[in-house]
Amino acid sequence: MLIEFTVNGQNVRLNLPPTRRLLDVLRDDLGLIGTKEGCGRGECGSCTVLLNGARVNSCLVPALQLPGSRVTTIEGLREWPVFERIAEAFIENGSVQCGLCIPGYVMSTVAVLDETAEQATSEEIRRALAGNLCRCTGYDKVLRAVEDLFEEPELRRRITEILERER
Amino acid sequence: MAHRPRSLDELDSLALSTSGDVTYVAGATDLMVKPEHWKSAVNLVDLTSIGELTTMLQADGGGLLIGAAVPLSRLMCDPVVCERYPLLVEACAQIGSVQIQNRATLGGNIANASPAGDSLPVLSVYDAELHLGPRQSGAFTKARITDVMRGPGLTSLGRRYIAFIRLPEVEANGQFRYFRKVGQRYSLAISKLSLAVLGWREGDRLRDIRICAGSVSPVVQRAEKTEALLRGQLLSDELIAKAARRLSEEVSPISDIRSSESYRRHICGAVLADALHTIRTGGLKPP
Repeated sequence: MLIEFTVNGQNVRLNLPPTRRLLDVLRDDLGLIGTKEGCGRGECGSCTVLLNGARVNSCLVPALQLPGSRVTTIEGLREWPVFERIAEAFIENGSVQCGLCIPGYVMSTVAVLDETAEQATSEEIRRALAGNLCRCTGYDKVLRAVEDLFEEPELRRRITEILERER
Repeated sequence: MAHRPRSLDELDSLALSTSGDVTYVAGATDLMVKPEHWKSAVNLVDLTSIGELTTMLQADGGGLLIGAAVPLSRLMCDPVVCERYPLLVEACAQIGSVQIQNRATLGGNIANASPAGDSLPVLSVYDAELHLGPRQSGAFTKARITDVMRGPGLTSLGRRYIAFIRLPEVEANGQFRYFRKVGQRYSLAISKLSLAVLGWREGDRLRDIRICAGSVSPVVQRAEKTEALLRGQLLSDELIAKAARRLSEEVSPISDIRSSESYRRHICGAVLADALHTIRTGGLKPP
């Protein structure tokens, strides 16, 4: 079926089987290989992208439901003015080892910074990130990066502003 | 073939006119993890393209009418759901992860008919009524979860679709409630047990109580024998122990990759005892 939607602000028009996974559309049809496939069954979060401003596992979104939607991948997020600060926090905390889970973590980080209440505890942030698995770091270093970012209200405000435009 | 109907009328005519199997798609989070079925699915019908099925309304005659394709995360932050049906919020918070909750739906949780569907025990104690389409003479068919769920992964739906879940109004006076999921971890774990309890006290007595345990029977159903044992009674240590034993006997768990039959029986009773002890000491009151 002919499907029109937006990826990272660009209009896309593709002829796709309705059962095709968004993950494959991004990687194979559009060459956006920043989005990674881990488990391919919605458990690891490596393929997390934003769909109309909400984080989803792109391995579980069918092409059928893409018409008219707005998708943001890690490539799109790189262009956001907040990206550098997020990358810096991950680097400062040594949060990246093999790196496969990181694009998904960064997408989730943006969502967590937007959706988690101001007074959230470390436990609540951990829980909000529980849909992303990492087999290298033992989680602490990723969590520390997100906690550092969480301490920056101006950054969170800017993220919320960007996400509101996506919805 | 794939369809994105724009209205209930269009959906009904698709349901009535399409020949062969129909696969209704809402959040797709259960459908797409079975690639062999998913890739061979014919006649996909998207339910998220229909406005009515992705909204929540006050139901006629009280209660809340939830579109079957409303994502769980939207339910979880809805002020009416949070205030009147908090057990549903608790159960949804333990389904998958936020990424899953942003897509998954109650309609899908029911139609997938997993004994471990975490919303099902809660929907059962809230006495949820399902509205099934296509409409006949303009009306949806009304059904209970137990009418629809026939066994693990089996439903009586056929080509019918779930349009709405109606939650009746729940009396707040004297209400207590409890939900507990037992799994390997908080997120992304399929339950070994989930237990929902909703009831009302009158003085020291349990005026009424509804109990439903998930993951411990082929279909999710209320524990009627245990409920009958407790209804109208004063809670004592002895009665609590008896109710815990009754529930352990009443359920029919299996041993599988996640847990054993004997552990499931044991934990069922233990978790119910925990709920009843808390109720006895005046806990689990609505705020």
